[in-house]
Amino acid sequence: MLLETKGLTKNFGGLTAVSKLDLQVSEGEIVALIGPNGAGKSTVFNLVTGVLHPTAGKVLFNGRDITGQKPHTVAHLGIGRTFQFAYLFADFTVLENLVASCHLYPRSGFWEALINTPSYRHKEARIQTKALEILKFVGLDKVKDELARNLPHGYQKVLGVARALAVNPKLLLLDEPIAGMTREEIYFSLDVFRKIRSQGITILLIEHNMECMDLCDRVIVLNFGHKIAEGSSAEVRQNPEVIQAYFGRKNA
Amino acid sequence: MGGLIGLIVLLFLLPMIIQQQTYYLHVFIIVLIYIIVVSSLRTVALSGQLSVGHAAFMGVGAYFSGVITRELAISPWLAIPLGGLASMLVAVLIGYPFTRVRAIYFSMISLFGGIIIVDLIMVAQKWTGAAGLANIPLLSPINIPGIGNITFLGQKLPYYYCTLILTLVCLFILYRLEHSRVGINWKAIAQSHMVASSVGINEAYYRVLALAVGCFFAGLAGAWYAHYTLVLGTSTFGFLPSIYLVMYMLVGGQKRFAGPIIGTTILVMVPELVRSLKESAPLVLGAIMVIVVFLMPQGIVGLFDQIRVRYRKSNKRKVTESVAGN
Amino acid sequence: MDAQTLASTGISALMLSAIYILMALGFALLLSVMGVLNFAHSALYMVAGYICYEFTVGFGLSGWLSLILTVVVMGAFGVFLERFCFRPFFGDTNRIIVIALALIVILESLMNILVGTAVRKVPDFISGTIKFSGFQVSQQRILVTFIGAAVLIALIILIQNTRRGQQMLAVAQDFVGATLQGINIYRTMAFATVIACALAALAGSLGGAVYYLNPFIGDQMLVKAIEVVILAGIGSISGVFAGGLILGIIDAFLPMVLSGVATDATGLGIVVLILLFRPQGLFGHEA
Repeated sequence: MLLETKGLTKNFGGLTAVSKLDLQVSEGEIVALIGPNGAGKSTVFNLVTGVLHPTAGKVLFNGRDITGQKPHTVAHLGIGRTFQFAYLFADFTVLENLVASCHLYPRSGFWEALINTPSYRHKEARIQTKALEILKFVGLDKVKDELARNLPHGYQKVLGVARALAVNPKLLLLDEPIAGMTREEIYFSLDVFRKIRSQGITILLIEHNMECMDLCDRVIVLNFGHKIAEGSSAEVRQNPEVIQAYFGRKNA
Repeated sequence: MGGLIGLIVLLFLLPMIIQQQTYYLHVFIIVLIYIIVVSSLRTVALSGQLSVGHAAFMGVGAYFSGVITRELAISPWLAIPLGGLASMLVAVLIGYPFTRVRAIYFSMISLFGGIIIVDLIMVAQKWTGAAGLANIPLLSPINIPGIGNITFLGQKLPYYYCTLILTLVCLFILYRLEHSRVGINWKAIAQSHMVASSVGINEAYYRVLALAVGCFFAGLAGAWYAHYTLVLGTSTFGFLPSIYLVMYMLVGGQKRFAGPIIGTTILVMVPELVRSLKESAPLVLGAIMVIVVFLMPQGIVGLFDQIRVRYRKSNKRKVTESVAGN
Repeated sequence: MDAQTLASTGISALMLSAIYILMALGFALLLSVMGVLNFAHSALYMVAGYICYEFTVGFGLSGWLSLILTVVVMGAFGVFLERFCFRPFFGDTNRIIVIALALIVILESLMNILVGTAVRKVPDFISGTIKFSGFQVSQQRILVTFIGAAVLIALIILIQNTRRGQQMLAVAQDFVGATLQGINIYRTMAFATVIACALAALAGSLGGAVYYLNPFIGDQMLVKAIEVVILAGIGSISGVFAGGLILGIIDAFLPMVLSGVATDATGLGIVVLILLFRPQGLFGHEA
């Protein structure tokens, strides 16, 4: 088991965003976390990566308790993530975004950076190579010198995925990776995800889009912070509670 | 690059050009010292933390060095770097809890920090002098083999050259840092602390680091200043001076390394050289600030950049095409 | 401590608290509703003091009329501020800070040139003292406290019971949500700015009646305002009252024990200590 949460709960004042969530993701899987808006999906990501502290419950990664660890530590442990709103380093170029994201591997210290030792220069050269490789992998190498904020929205999201790959992750958390994309961009991205999976990286993603679901081995459905269904995408689509959650509200 | 070398050569030849007029030498020395301080402010600001109390850290270095040289008869050459370290220490101690808060609150709190420091300096009147610190020792003479003894007593020229060398060294270090991985991480944090954390950058560590480095150089410059002016008053390091520092940086342009240098040079030299402006200097400064904010958001260097960008415009459709043709 | 000292110090504490709260509230409003770090707030206090002085001494108007006029004038200035200084740069924090700094410098140096070292003080609205058995207290100080407290209470009622007030709170809490509700953001921000300026104006006029004016008294007040806001905590408007009260009490009673600059430093030190253990302030949310 790569990622596991036990009884994960998050309260904001009077509002319960996530309630006693038990979740498992095994190595090599692509799992989708779906649910109507406000179901608490992004909160789960924030809890796993340490952006938020859980009110109760635990997060285990590779058997190790990482509950409440700082986000940069979580990244170091091998969890990469993207954000719903395509956050990037807006003033950097695409390549610079990646170079900045390769901070962890290989790691440089303050003094060697200041003095510009040969080993430091070597590391930086390796980072440049690695950054270019990742860009090629996700298909953005042709625009490496563009300012990141000039990219169309969809490709900004792909850049986010590239950035997450820079931490050499074992697990990738993708938050609505294809939301707001054009048809073209979606095909592009799904392709990238398949390639990522073939590299042996596990993916947990949040999505609404049904096309994405077909890519997934398993689907977990959240509503009001509770897990209400789990299974293959076909099973879940038939689940009455799920249908209720997504469509029932309109009639409520 | 060639231009830079030419500039440096010019700076070394400057005293001969102005025929060693002591008043002008004095102005240049002050400008050089403040260039270090404002550049160090920019270093702190690289990580997204705009400090409105930076002058106080200059003061820490100044008073620390002034006091230990006066009371403990330590050589100024040793005391000056110690002043920098003292300032750095204070910055880390006071600053550590403050680097945990969001950028806008950091600015508020830096105002505080600046005032607390000045207050503490005044509280320690026993050592720092009720009306200011006086009788600070000069830089002690140095013996350069081949050239002989260089004394600083009553001479501006040695001060000028030593200040110039100090400034160049400090600027070189700051420049190096900014263009190393450390600088990349600082800029990353400034642009998006969420993304930076998600790729493993320890935000707290790098913010404290920026503060420490920036305040070290501010303290260093302050200590140097102390052994040049030989008298200190807390008004030089209070709220208004801190505001001026921010101004110098922003008028010159925060985005580029040369920004603080240009801003400081213009805003310090012009009032000095045009005597009639001196009384209404703050007013003129304020007016300049307003103009810069409304018309030149990136400062003076920004103007140059804008001209350059006109030739490098890019187009979203062009981008999509090149990506799609993959 | 005899009754007299206790009484006069106590009144001073309340009076200081009132003034601090007036300043801090304005500052906090600008911060939470508009995200503006208005360093120039101190300058507003100072300018208001001088304007009030001009009205009473220069124009010979009654104290009350001058007070109201000053508040109105500064409120109008607030409209100008919001429209031309804050709104165009909304979202660009650094630039707004620069503008605020520029304002301070311009206003302070302008006043310095105009007034210089001339000693000015807004004349008392009421002179004399009230005598109780055992002690007497300055009527002016009591009046200042009263006016301050009354305005604050009125303001709270106003904010909680009018639509404008509710809208302001909404914008402060959740900007995006508020826009989705159809709240006219710009009008709300103008409203907040006007109130903030009016509060500063009131503080400046009242303070100017108690303490002597100089072009730089604003700086002190700014520090106090920020202290209170930080104490109160990020995003907390109600905490401002508690914070202001605490600081007023500290600043009134501490000078009896320590002298001169040490009082300031201690007050600040206490705030720093509180911050170290509770970075989000006494009443704030998670930072």
